[in-house]
Amino acid sequence: MPDQAATPGRPGVIHDLGYRHFEGVREGTATIARTLFVTGLRHAYGLGRSGKSKVMPFVLLAMSLLPAAIVVGVVVLTGLGSLPVSYADYTNQTQLLVSLFAASQAPVLFSRDLRHRSIVLYLARPLSSPVFALMRWLSLTVAMFVFTAVPTVLLFAGAMLAGLDKSDQTSAVLKALTLQVLLAAMLAGVSGLISSVSLRRGFAVVGSVMALIVLTGVVTVMQNIAYYDGDSESVSVGVGLLSPWSLHNGLGNAWDAGIDTPAPVDGAWVPAYAIVALLLVAGCLLGLVARFRKVASR
Amino acid sequence: MTVVTGELTGPLPVISTAGLTKHYGTVHALTDLTVDVGDGVTGLVGANGAGKSTLIKILLGLLEPTAGHAHVLGHDIEEHSQEIRRLVGYMPEHDCLPPDVSASDFVVHMARMSGLGASAARERAADVLRHVGLDEERYRPMGGYSTGMKQRAKLAQALAHDPRLVFLDEPTNGLDPAARTDMLRLVQRIGNDFGIAVLVTSHLLGELEQVSDHVIVLDGGHLLRSSATGEFLERTGSLLVEVVGTETERDRLGEALARHGLTCRPRGTMVAVDPPPPGLAEGGAAHDLIRDVAAELGLGLMRLQPDRRHLEDVFLEGGTRA
Ligand SMILES: Nc1ncnc2c1ncn2[C@@H]1O[C@H](COP(=O)(O)OP(=O)(O)OP(=O)(O)O)[C@@H](O)[C@H]1O
Ligand SMILES: [Mg+2]
Repeated sequence: MPDQAATPGRPGVIHDLGYRHFEGVREGTATIARTLFVTGLRHAYGLGRSGKSKVMPFVLLAMSLLPAAIVVGVVVLTGLGSLPVSYADYTNQTQLLVSLFAASQAPVLFSRDLRHRSIVLYLARPLSSPVFALMRWLSLTVAMFVFTAVPTVLLFAGAMLAGLDKSDQTSAVLKALTLQVLLAAMLAGVSGLISSVSLRRGFAVVGSVMALIVLTGVVTVMQNIAYYDGDSESVSVGVGLLSPWSLHNGLGNAWDAGIDTPAPVDGAWVPAYAIVALLLVAGCLLGLVARFRKVASR
Repeated sequence: MTVVTGELTGPLPVISTAGLTKHYGTVHALTDLTVDVGDGVTGLVGANGAGKSTLIKILLGLLEPTAGHAHVLGHDIEEHSQEIRRLVGYMPEHDCLPPDVSASDFVVHMARMSGLGASAARERAADVLRHVGLDEERYRPMGGYSTGMKQRAKLAQALAHDPRLVFLDEPTNGLDPAARTDMLRLVQRIGNDFGIAVLVTSHLLGELEQVSDHVIVLDGGHLLRSSATGEFLERTGSLLVEVVGTETERDRLGEALARHGLTCRPRGTMVAVDPPPPGLAEGGAAHDLIRDVAAELGLGLMRLQPDRRHLEDVFLEGGTRA
């Protein structure tokens, strides 16, 4: 520190001309929140981070795009009259990859600040803990949505190239994208909350895999058992309330978006599915806020 | 117990608390603290668990007080804590740096989180990293930093947005003596030369006395004492004096001071002055004398500060005074 040696120890004698005050504009919280959101979204894909951290998200994205590319190729070359898979069901069929993306990338946004305690530095700044939690969740939600929307848009482009009916395809793709928004909000909430509690990356990933992949498997098996062996439609549909994926698929089924569920979701089950999905998102957000606030005060 | 420290330059104190209290269940971290803090450097001293960090977190709005009120830079901590957090910087006592990010990237990001635009943030980050003395290392991931470098990076992020006030929670924690001295000088420059008010904590009164204009002593959550550093010094007053030059200059000063009735001995590059005799003990007379003598001899005064003392002395004094 060469510029220090010359500074005498007593106060106020020599002013340090080297220090410049900042006279420029200080942005309000909305702009700060947007910056946090954009940074988080980029980080979810490893952008602005080490080269290594880009591998996982982009490999998963490529894997979830590959079947769509093949489908597009087949449809365009053979001139099929329809897509072999609906847009919404494509997301469902690639759910393992979608869940893995959530499980692997949620810790980037929800564990690191807590584990390294940099959360304290954020919360000592203008953004409050609810806004911070909300922006983190929004980053992951949009990242998840992009992850599912990219193959969907590719399929749609293929359908247009193959000359399929434009209005049919458009309404189907819009339904699928709407369902994906809800799905992304739920997956980001669940995996985010899990990652904010289990700060070790390994535990966070395993926890999210349990909640998103294993639980969904169990729910699907129980739905099938209830429907085919137990002969009970309502139990089968009711069990579907228990996982984000079965909520997504149930709503897709109810909305005629081209997803099959063991038993059809209809009647009062439809609002129930929608309400449970929204409550799940809200609950995760409240949990995240409480978690961030607690860690910051320690 | 209302005590005001130091010369308050503005119409409002930088920090003022009234009956501030924080209980964690049965633990009374802070009890009925009423104190005002002015510009410059204010030291907050207390043993482990005295409530120093608790006070800072309450002032930042990270913790809610059990009772009492406080204002920071004129803003109420409960109603306008967001406005406060826009204007203050915070260096926590614990590790808070992500290991896989460089100090440069991190400080830029933190400046943006305080509301600076992208290019302003980059400019400020480069500036403050230079001021805290992180040069080439600032492009390396912080995981590989020594404790001293980490403390500097933590300090840099606290200054990134040019705050009006910084809370430095044990900035000398874990530093070796040389790094400690560097850090303390930096703290002093922030308060006096950068014009940013500083509240700095430590459990060593001795080290804060060197750099603080005012000292607040906490003991088990209670205010034990709050006064200008000079007052501490006048009571038990050993002094350390350093002048520009070599041992020759040091000895010239020492001999001259001895002729004026002060007991002196060399200590390193400095002259240690024993507590002045009664005639010189009043109202900083010894201070003035030393300054005048140095001026007469044409010696540049580098340092004139109280000698290190231990907190226990103050506790003992505080105990007898109470
Ligand atoms: N979250 C908490 N829950 C319960 N007790 C707490 C909590 N945080 C602090 N305390 C207690 O409050 C008291 C004051 O703690 P504080 O951290 O403010 O002290 P400090 O002066 O900063 O000490 P140190 O020098 O160790 O940093 C201590 O007795 C501590 O154990
Ligand atoms: Mg502390």
